[in-house]
Amino acid sequence: MGIDLQLSEEQELIGSTANEFFGKNCPPELVREYETSAADYPAQLWSQMAELGWLGMPFPERHGGLGLATLDMVPLYVELGRHLVPCPVLEAAALAGGLIGALGSEEQQKALLPGIARAEALVVWALMEPEGGYGPDAVQLKAQRNGSEFRLDGTKVLVACASSASHLLCAARTAAGDNGEGVSLFLVETQAPGTTVERMPNIAGQPLYAVTFDNASVPADALVGDLDSAWPTLYETMMKAAVLQSAMVVGAGERVLEMTTDYAKEREQFGQAIGKYQAVQYLCTDIAMHLHRTRLLTLQAAWRIDSGRGFLREAALAKAAASRAAAAMTFAAHEVHAGVAFVIDYDLQLYTRRAKHWEYNLGDLRYHLDRACAESGL
Amino acid sequence: MVDLCPDDTPELKAWRQEVRDFLHEALPEPWTFWYDYDEDPESWERYLAFWRKVGKKQWNSLTWPADCYGLGRSAIENWILEEEFVNHDTPTYPVIGMQVAGHLLRHGTHQQRLKHLKGIADATVLWGEGFSEPGAGSDLARLTTKAHRDGDEWVINGQKTLGTAAHFCQWMAILARTDPDAPRHAGLSCFLVPLDAPGIEMLPLDNMADGRQNMTYFDDVRVPADSLLGDENQAWTQIWLGMGGERLDNAGPSLGPHTMRIVPLLNRVIRYCQQTTRGGRRLADDPVVRQQLGELMLGVEAIKLQAYELYGIAQSGKPNRFGVASLHMHQAVFKEFWPHLAQVCMEIVGPMAQLQGGKWAQLNGDIEHYFRASFGNHAGGTSQIKRMVWATRGLGLPR
Repeated sequence: MGIDLQLSEEQELIGSTANEFFGKNCPPELVREYETSAADYPAQLWSQMAELGWLGMPFPERHGGLGLATLDMVPLYVELGRHLVPCPVLEAAALAGGLIGALGSEEQQKALLPGIARAEALVVWALMEPEGGYGPDAVQLKAQRNGSEFRLDGTKVLVACASSASHLLCAARTAAGDNGEGVSLFLVETQAPGTTVERMPNIAGQPLYAVTFDNASVPADALVGDLDSAWPTLYETMMKAAVLQSAMVVGAGERVLEMTTDYAKEREQFGQAIGKYQAVQYLCTDIAMHLHRTRLLTLQAAWRIDSGRGFLREAALAKAAASRAAAAMTFAAHEVHAGVAFVIDYDLQLYTRRAKHWEYNLGDLRYHLDRACAESGL
Repeated sequence: MVDLCPDDTPELKAWRQEVRDFLHEALPEPWTFWYDYDEDPESWERYLAFWRKVGKKQWNSLTWPADCYGLGRSAIENWILEEEFVNHDTPTYPVIGMQVAGHLLRHGTHQQRLKHLKGIADATVLWGEGFSEPGAGSDLARLTTKAHRDGDEWVINGQKTLGTAAHFCQWMAILARTDPDAPRHAGLSCFLVPLDAPGIEMLPLDNMADGRQNMTYFDDVRVPADSLLGDENQAWTQIWLGMGGERLDNAGPSLGPHTMRIVPLLNRVIRYCQQTTRGGRRLADDPVVRQQLGELMLGVEAIKLQAYELYGIAQSGKPNRFGVASLHMHQAVFKEFWPHLAQVCMEIVGPMAQLQGGKWAQLNGDIEHYFRASFGNHAGGTSQIKRMVWATRGLGLPR
């Protein structure tokens, strides 16, 4: 033991299995198809992943999961990124699963987790509002108690797969308060009266939605966890998921680096491979630098989660690195590829556009740099 | 398996505490001293006295074999020791001496080890480096200093430059051409040369960071045959590349305390931001400063983790994806981060950061000094060269 930054053989095996599986079942054509498809995600691929146990990976075994640790999941998420898998694994398993596991009653867990793991039900979280903030202050959607029910009023945005999800885990303000007090979490049916779901066209072709609640009533037992005190868990769950999002950026970065160095070796101009030019070598090593540091910071954060250590500072640094890497790696790759990758048929742009979504998802660079300060006591 | 806890046993935790206790006793007050950018004789005396104290405990040679003045202790114990020294902002051991010790442990004869390691271990003999020449910097293989065999001796002629702090040293490890007819990388050898040998002249090259480097001239300098370190004509692979790609063997992996000066430096700036008010609020509450500090924390953390990764590679023997280029990558990243860190710290501290001392100086003027020193990031090879090696050997781009 001691100091090591390499995954175990078992963990590497999860990665190589997933790489092979997605190589066969998730080609770039499928990725392209689901940018414009009416369906949120390919149902067949989704249920195949459920059969492989990948959706319930972190869930306890009694709820149909595998009880695996973050470092066991990192290699899977690396492959989800490498293959741009158009399925809401992060949303279902890490975010919804994480929140239900942490805040849900035993009945709620029993009712929801096995269904998520088996791909029979999809639950997604809904945090962000039109103002675009990540912190507790940005949660302004009102939930007011009205007898035996709550009334929800407000709009959630950038909600993944809301049109196919059965439920949303919706963060709402139930009281005024500082430092996250007054935020509660509700399990809301997406078909409930007073609820409108609209698709949000976006750079990545992701199935993102705005969900508006117009005085929509939800029963009191829709409350997940205690009233007014959901924020700390929402935050921790987001930070844990941000580490897995960082792993996805690592996987995408590996593919982007591979595409770019391959191209630099093949493409000849002025009588030699362009990879011989130092300007091009600089761009390639830029990609490698961002990729590598994101990988190391991701592994460190995952290890801290699994070993029960404080992880919030390290998770913030990992996602900050990932957000910066997402932008910087694809930028450098385009500089090397130039004209060829501007053509829509070329695969690099699939990465570039998703990288932008991932850069923002679960906290952007600025948010996480600030959190890194806050979690360092500043 | 990912693990980042060096002291995972009670014995190792006790060892960390022992190192900590020693440092609190030996250097009770915080003392930032960069030997390579400081000529103050009193500070040097204090600095060397400290390292001789460490040497008495044989901690400079902790992992070396017992028959070479070492204690034969484990790599992880050395790692913990280095972590504590870094966290304490301990002035770092002169870096060339430790490199020479590594070369001696890898390629030296038993006699050479007996002769030279003790002085390095107890910090009584300091070593300079004689690699660069006026016409051979990044393209080191162009060097023209020559050595030829004459009976039982080698005769050295030529000129070395940029010898950091060499005027404090008693010995120098130099590279010289021993086979003028061989391809340029294949005719170089390494020699261990006493700096009081007849025919050596040293002239100062003062640098912009208050340090003194040196021009060293060799005019028919005669050294005994056993001054050759390693094999004749093999110095490029054994000595030079050994510093870049394969440093990780029996001298043990090192956290690189010299590189890790960035850790205490950033910690000082963070504390400064917590204690300093500007425009009615703490610097630490200024959103722009927070972005900058977050960025610097990210850079420092990533460089630290690269060192940890190199440790894991050294222990497991499994290379990372950049193979032999992994240390070059580490160095390139550090060499580019260092001046960036210095610049951003200047920005954070603001206009008062220009001051070099006196009662108005911020952080004792150390940030200004550090900024000037950061232009020394070429030492040991420029980041451009490191990137080239990384691109060609690590990423497989054409040469």
